[in-house]
Amino acid sequence: MNEEERKILSLRFVIVALVFLALAGIEGLLMRLRIMNLLTDVFDERHFYSMMTAHPFVGIYGWAYMAVMGAFYFLVPYVLKKDIYSKRAAYTSFWLMILGIAVIWTTTFVTHYAPLYTLYWPIPVAADLVGWSPLSIMSFGVGVTLVLAGVLVFFFNMFATIFLPSRVVKSNGQGGAGYIFKELVITAFNLDRLLAKIRRIPHYSAKAFNYPVFVVAVFRGCVDTTLNAFVIGGVGLVLAFMGAYYLLPGAVQNISLIDPLIYKNFFWWGLDLIADGNVLIFTAGTWYLIVPLLLNRRLYGEQVVRTVILADLVVSLFVWNHHMLADTPQPFVLQIQGQIFTWGELLTMGLTIFAVLATIWGARPVKYSAPLKFVLASIAGYAVGGLAGIIQANYASNRFFHNTQWVIGIHGHIQLLVGLSLTIFAAIYALFPLLTGKMLNEKMADMHLLLMAIGGGVMGLSMGMAGTLGMLRRMLYPMGLGVYEPYMNVAMLGALMMAAGFSVFIINVIRTVGLTTIIKLFLPQR
Amino acid sequence: MYPQFIIEMIYFVIISIVVVFLAVFYFLTSRRRGSVESGHAGHDREGEMGRGEKRWLIFLFSVTIIGNLLFLSPLLPSMRYTLYERDVTMTVVIEMRNYKFILPEKPIRIPANVPVEFVVISEDLVYGFGVFRKDGTLVFQMQVVPKPYINRIVWVFEEPGTYDIRSTEYSGPMHPWMYVPDAILIVGEQQ
Repeated sequence: MNEEERKILSLRFVIVALVFLALAGIEGLLMRLRIMNLLTDVFDERHFYSMMTAHPFVGIYGWAYMAVMGAFYFLVPYVLKKDIYSKRAAYTSFWLMILGIAVIWTTTFVTHYAPLYTLYWPIPVAADLVGWSPLSIMSFGVGVTLVLAGVLVFFFNMFATIFLPSRVVKSNGQGGAGYIFKELVITAFNLDRLLAKIRRIPHYSAKAFNYPVFVVAVFRGCVDTTLNAFVIGGVGLVLAFMGAYYLLPGAVQNISLIDPLIYKNFFWWGLDLIADGNVLIFTAGTWYLIVPLLLNRRLYGEQVVRTVILADLVVSLFVWNHHMLADTPQPFVLQIQGQIFTWGELLTMGLTIFAVLATIWGARPVKYSAPLKFVLASIAGYAVGGLAGIIQANYASNRFFHNTQWVIGIHGHIQLLVGLSLTIFAAIYALFPLLTGKMLNEKMADMHLLLMAIGGGVMGLSMGMAGTLGMLRRMLYPMGLGVYEPYMNVAMLGALMMAAGFSVFIINVIRTVGLTTIIKLFLPQR
Repeated sequence: MYPQFIIEMIYFVIISIVVVFLAVFYFLTSRRRGSVESGHAGHDREGEMGRGEKRWLIFLFSVTIIGNLLFLSPLLPSMRYTLYERDVTMTVVIEMRNYKFILPEKPIRIPANVPVEFVVISEDLVYGFGVFRKDGTLVFQMQVVPKPYINRIVWVFEEPGTYDIRSTEYSGPMHPWMYVPDAILIVGEQQ
């Protein structure tokens, strides 16, 4: 692919991601209205929970993953000065993601299948008890498998782009999946440096230190998200097979086929890797690229930052248990391990934020462009959302916060909408001139930032305060919201502010490049 | 004051400091002219931490240690009844099946200030077991993992009165209806 083709690929990913963000936003607003006991005549519990099932798939995989994919398909070759390994794989991941999300969305919308993204065994397969149709189980499983297959194709393409010298080079053993896997493991865990120490090779610089820090973050995040894709994609496959089996005449439903606690451990181990790979490390990588580029200076403590990125891999593999602190049959030693390792995130994320702020501090006086302002706001989002996460991830405090609006409000949504999403927007604002040759309006960008950051903060914090009062997540209160109601009203105001901010951004893009140019991007290119 | 309110208050104080710090940082870095330092500001040697960075790491490490010690201490009742005061004087067994709580009696009468163990068993799906005060605040909760697992939690109710029970984990669209008002009656010594 030449640079022009990569630009088109990247823009296609980002535009589709923005459509998914809009869709997730509309879903969010509708669910919010339903929580406030409005729209009850047209929006029953089954419909509400099916929408809640689709919402994270559209928001995380549709928006965050596809936007990240689009950005990395352009940035990784740009930074490494080499082509993407496979154009076909790039477009395969593009279509698999769209198709998978479309299948999930359609299944939940049409059949009201609603196991939620947690997919706690045996809820997704308890067809008779809960009332799912076997076809919906199978179709949902297929959708999940397609999405995660798309994710795997993307990451394999990224690994190949980073670690292979060039396309289809098979000489000297440099080529193929085995070679990439070996390189990845050696580089991700600094094994070559360890080997050099054992062999007493002086002044050896590990392979990870030969790559730009942004690329280290990309492949490090890809390790987590690849493992995540295997786990969640695997669950999707199980659902697809079980749904298909239920369709057979005489099929027996056996909901005790899988141990619910072992499954939950395995599932959360895989699912939490999204939080580390996509939400934290890809974000850190994006900051490490954008901030030095915009300020035209080196990242503060670059070598230390690489070590932190790699150390976080170890932390990320052992934090899953913070999702299971309320599961009393879980061995207590695992509970405490989950708590202590989660505090490790404070160290890694704290050092990451320090490096970014120190880089900005060293460059003062700084002229804050739109992407830099978005980075600073996203740091605030991570600090506010991350701290809430660490508080709820203690065995003792989890008794009061688990499954409340605190978890999904202050932690989940602030981390995703103010932390991650503002980082993605920072990347979009930074890349926009490179991809289109045009600059977005700065005043509109400011308005976008203020509405998104304040709106996200207001929504998340008011949800969290309702959570402290005892309001549960994933819950409808048909008998009235009671003391939670004022907080939900304020959360609605925050959500509307975010919607307004997003609209300002869309208007800004359309005003700058024109709707026709955007439509033309999806037509066959000459 | 309930423990979650104290935690929330501490949290809001910290995030206020963080947000104010970032606002001041923005102001200082955009307006104040400082000497533009080298690309490795604060770094004595390539690959090593600068002085400020080391101090910051020591601070974060200290917060991590103190935070863990505090949360593992008997300060919060949830940890006190798990690790430090485990002598149970009463056991209440509750079954859950087909989106229903099956209680031994209604209301379940429990004396105040007595360690009571709730044993909750699910026959089919994953549920949650949460006890709420009449003002909607959460007293405690746990997940209910289905059989063959048995879910246990010990608690001491200090305030006499009636309490509600809710499922705190999604188990299907019937989830919002898994609510038993006035399920527990805590009886004071006088009563």
